[in-house]
Amino acid sequence: MTGDKYAVEVSNITKKFRLYDDKGYTLKEKALHWGRNRYEYREVLKGISFQIKKGEAVGLIGQNGCGKSTVLKLLTKIMYPDSGTICVRGRVSSLLELGAGFHPDMSGRENIYINASILGLTKKEIDRRIDSIIAFSELEEFIDNPVRTYSSGMYMRLAFSVAVSVDADVLLIDEILAVGDVNFQAKCFRKLMEIKGAGTTIVIVSHSMDQVERICDRSFWIQDGQVKQVGSPFDVHRNYLDAMSMKRKQRSVDQAVSDDSQAKPDDAVSFVSAKLRNKGQSIESVFRLGEMLVLEIEMDSVQNIEEHSECGLIEINLVRADGLFCYGCAAPLHQAKPVRAKDSQQAEKMNIRLVYPHMNLLPGWYHFDLHIADKEGGTIYFGGNIAEFEIEADSPQRGLFYLEHEWTKG
Amino acid sequence: MHVVKELWEYREMTANLVKRDLKSRYKGSVLGFFWMFLNPLLQLAVYTVVFSTIMKMGIDRFYLFMFVAFVPWLFFSTCLSSGTTVVFAQQDIVKKIYFPREVLPLAFTLSQFINMLLSFLVIFAVVAVSGVVINPLALLWLAPVMLVEFVLALGTTLLVSALSVYFRDMEHMMGILSMAWMYLTPVIYPVDMVPEQYQYLLYLNPMTSITVAYRDILYYATAPQAETLLHAAVCAGVVLAGGQAVFCRLKRHFAEEL
Repeated sequence: MTGDKYAVEVSNITKKFRLYDDKGYTLKEKALHWGRNRYEYREVLKGISFQIKKGEAVGLIGQNGCGKSTVLKLLTKIMYPDSGTICVRGRVSSLLELGAGFHPDMSGRENIYINASILGLTKKEIDRRIDSIIAFSELEEFIDNPVRTYSSGMYMRLAFSVAVSVDADVLLIDEILAVGDVNFQAKCFRKLMEIKGAGTTIVIVSHSMDQVERICDRSFWIQDGQVKQVGSPFDVHRNYLDAMSMKRKQRSVDQAVSDDSQAKPDDAVSFVSAKLRNKGQSIESVFRLGEMLVLEIEMDSVQNIEEHSECGLIEINLVRADGLFCYGCAAPLHQAKPVRAKDSQQAEKMNIRLVYPHMNLLPGWYHFDLHIADKEGGTIYFGGNIAEFEIEADSPQRGLFYLEHEWTKG
Repeated sequence: MHVVKELWEYREMTANLVKRDLKSRYKGSVLGFFWMFLNPLLQLAVYTVVFSTIMKMGIDRFYLFMFVAFVPWLFFSTCLSSGTTVVFAQQDIVKKIYFPREVLPLAFTLSQFINMLLSFLVIFAVVAVSGVVINPLALLWLAPVMLVEFVLALGTTLLVSALSVYFRDMEHMMGILSMAWMYLTPVIYPVDMVPEQYQYLLYLNPMTSITVAYRDILYYATAPQAETLLHAAVCAGVVLAGGQAVFCRLKRHFAEEL
């Protein structure tokens, strides 16, 4: 007896999918390929086990196709595992699909009834909730209009409002938090925190590390059908992002070998190299939080750079490994003080330095994107990931930037 | 038993799907809900013209003789042929949301059943106009006969809807089958038109007993024979049990196959 401490217990589940080369559904195809229906098995889950405590919020993260959505589908009983056991205690509600069963010709109100009933509510339960659902969706004026007249944002708002009104013991969510405008998103988020506060167990599949970090107590990193790491979102995500950027680096190395850096001759400028230096001027790729970071860019200019440098813009963007845009700054090319070295008639060298006295981004992997635009704003040159670095720190903090702070007694 | 309990918990979903189906079916058409009545009436008109003036059957009030059997037949044959698309058409929710899958065939059969009940209003009107004596005692038998037909239709829908998820040809095959099946059921001819040595074959068809029972009640204005009714009930029960068994086995992989 493990007791009822756990809301979800999954032990050693495996799941295979058949991948058909070309699936034959019809009689002719079945007859032709009888007994040699060409398909192969793909093992999506290779023995996953985990437990989720009652009232806990857990995030499942991982690359596309790692099996995290399949886990969610198994938990809701949309699919069944090939082996292993799944035990989910209490009423399960899943937000895998918003607006299931919505009929465009019917009014918002009628659709609330249909949608909520598909989620398993009885008429009495819906009657009791209908006012709060409508209020939450902020669609009071339109609720008796047919849904086909709604904008897609309104549609999603209505659908989300129904979905979160189901009082479940276990709530399963798949990538659906980006609903409606900014205000509504904030509202959805508050609602989720409310649901969590009420003691509901939550399992979220998401690519957004931020969401998971804000809502979840624990993260499960799933890779190749197995649980790779379980722990606090902070730790797991860092390792996950590290692994992802290693992978990307590997890929870009492979690519560089294969496509032999195509510098088109008619490019007005071309990027040569970028270096990162620390305070002591030595070349580095790992920095401490708050340390000075200097970016040095060397470029070749084929045409007369003066034309561009008068009015052109150089833009440097800082991007976190998961693609989150952190910070960007731009300057007119001439202000960026390119240092020219005329060693031939054609190619002009251009060196640009950008100094960050205090690099206050929190630990993780980051890279720089370089963008050079002409006076009309058109792109002259774009270079993604021209230099990469890692930030380290001792004490764990959450979020994006370090903000100077002080704890005092009140 | 578990399925029944769960279906009860999801009764609101079933009710809503039925409502949605009935409401949306004639939405946008000018005559709207009237088609529900107009449809059987027009079909009746066609068959009356064909069988009373061209292919004379020599049966008194043949239009009524046929119509009381044709409306129930239409219910069954729709379940047989269009029932194939029930799960397939709802693949979006099947792939994304958990609910007892039996809701889909159940809601479909119910909505077709309600359609038939409304058509029966037309039948009663035709019976009244045609001047057949109405036997109230016989009419009481209508409810159990309808129930038996419902059970048979539900079993059929369960079977074909599950199979066609794996085997898409079902839809076309069942279209042909239902056409053939109609001529193997005494819908447009009386049972005694069939050579006596083959009549037992006719009764292998569960729809035969049901058709005979309907006709006894509404055309001959007598109570159906207990034997007929029992035969129909047993057949329907077997089909429902078989249909549910197949559905239950196949439903586990719906989400993957769709």
